[in-house]
Amino acid sequence: MTDHGHEIDWRSVTRGAAFVPSLVLLTALVVIWAATGADYFWPMWAALGLAIPTGLWYAVRWARLRPKGGGRWYAMQASVSVVLVATCLAVWAMSGGGFFWPIFPFVALSVALALNPLAFRPGQRKLEVRVDELTRTRSGALDVQASELRRIERDLHDGAQARLVALSMQLGRAEERLADHPDSAALVRQAREEATAAIRELRDLARGIAPPVLADRGLVAAVESLASRSTVNVEVVGHLDHRLPPVVETAAYFVAAESLTNVAKHAPGASARVTLHLDGAMLVVEVADNGPGGANPAGSGLTGLKQRVEALDGRLEVHSVAREGTVVWAVLPCE
Amino acid sequence: MEDQALLREGMVALLAENGIEVVAQADDGPGLLRIVDGHQPELAICDVRLPPTFTDEGIRAALEARRRHPDLAILVLSAYVEPVYTAELLAAGQSGVGYLLKERVSEVRTFVDSVKRVAAGGTALDREVVSALIADRDRSGDGAARLGALTPRERETLELIAQGRTNAAIAREMVVTLGAVEKHVSNIFAKLDLPAGDDDHRRVLAVLAYLRATTAQ
Repeated sequence: MTDHGHEIDWRSVTRGAAFVPSLVLLTALVVIWAATGADYFWPMWAALGLAIPTGLWYAVRWARLRPKGGGRWYAMQASVSVVLVATCLAVWAMSGGGFFWPIFPFVALSVALALNPLAFRPGQRKLEVRVDELTRTRSGALDVQASELRRIERDLHDGAQARLVALSMQLGRAEERLADHPDSAALVRQAREEATAAIRELRDLARGIAPPVLADRGLVAAVESLASRSTVNVEVVGHLDHRLPPVVETAAYFVAAESLTNVAKHAPGASARVTLHLDGAMLVVEVADNGPGGANPAGSGLTGLKQRVEALDGRLEVHSVAREGTVVWAVLPCE
Repeated sequence: MEDQALLREGMVALLAENGIEVVAQADDGPGLLRIVDGHQPELAICDVRLPPTFTDEGIRAALEARRRHPDLAILVLSAYVEPVYTAELLAAGQSGVGYLLKERVSEVRTFVDSVKRVAAGGTALDREVVSALIADRDRSGDGAARLGALTPRERETLELIAQGRTNAAIAREMVVTLGAVEKHVSNIFAKLDLPAGDDDHRRVLAVLAYLRATTAQ
């Protein structure tokens, strides 16, 4: 049985259920019935006989299209139950009605269905709900963290640093006016230089927290900026036509940054290529170099990256073969 | 934003003290464009980050202003060095552009020189931007070998040239004689295979063109 996805493929319906032979057989029976006097309409029982396996076949097929896991078996039980109840209803109707006995199989199957998750997998549902909840809150927490870091970077640059710039500018103006008092001017200059040093420190701090160009321009521009600062030759291949969630951008940025730092440290003569692309809802980041290879994937830098990526339900792999270079490959879901 | 206004007021005072008339101020990108359209100033000074999103509105507004008024000189101030932005500014035209770190405003004399130079159609690139560009060129392709041939003093001179400094200013900065700077400059042009220009302006353009050509490859 092939998997046809979630859409109904009518060609497979007619083919898979031996539709044509069934139709021929039923037509033949109806002709025989008509020829033998069109008495009690017995061909309907033959039709029912053909309908039951067909119904079961569709029930199983439908259930198999559900996502893997406990849910699929539960769907299987439900769909088979529906077919059985429908069969009972048909038999009841075809045998002339009367006492409504299909109520018994209906109740029995419903009870079995209702008890199933509790009877076979105690706690399963609860666990699924909990996993859902944890996944949601974790990604929420990481999102909040990434946006908060960007806000802090902005506040540092546009708040504290702007004030320090205003201060150093005033000191600069004061220094100009003190041209006739060299001693005082020297003092003011010292103060101004201190302020400038503080501005520089703030800038380094802010960059370490969240690279400004990442927030301003997005991932590709930030990686290009990284590449232009790297001491090895780096080619960036990538085009993303929309911004990704901050948490994904930040993780991808640090994968590129850490990997390029490693290239510069362990393969100073090599050149590297960073590739960024979206594969459906997944962002794929690849940093490949032509250095000596043989990197230790259990090294602290790579372990940290792996944790960062896995916290977002992503995957990170390192392939490093001696004399064949190193490839760091990460895939990150973007919701 | 209060902090931004503080900075702007200070800047206006500083420029006025140094004989530069400020015709108008604005606090966002559309405001900048309105001023530029209305007052037709010689020069616009703006921050990279402007309201409402504080990302790169300033650069975008500056480029748009430049597109509408090709003669307008533009000086962009930024809290951080970003080679990507410098490249975009230079791509919009190499005369009358500047990109400086904000803290340079505290070196009043140098800053005012930069403002005047940009207004007069020159360039002013922050020394950190220039060294990032040169470091970048250093590693790649054809330019690497040529730049590699420069001595440390010549390289320093090239950085200062790229910032838009005159030979006299370079001599002061490097604490050498004017003659020594002139020698460095002609050596640089010889090693970089550039024809020596007749004036400072063409000289800067040549250097920048060279830097940009090697960036593009």
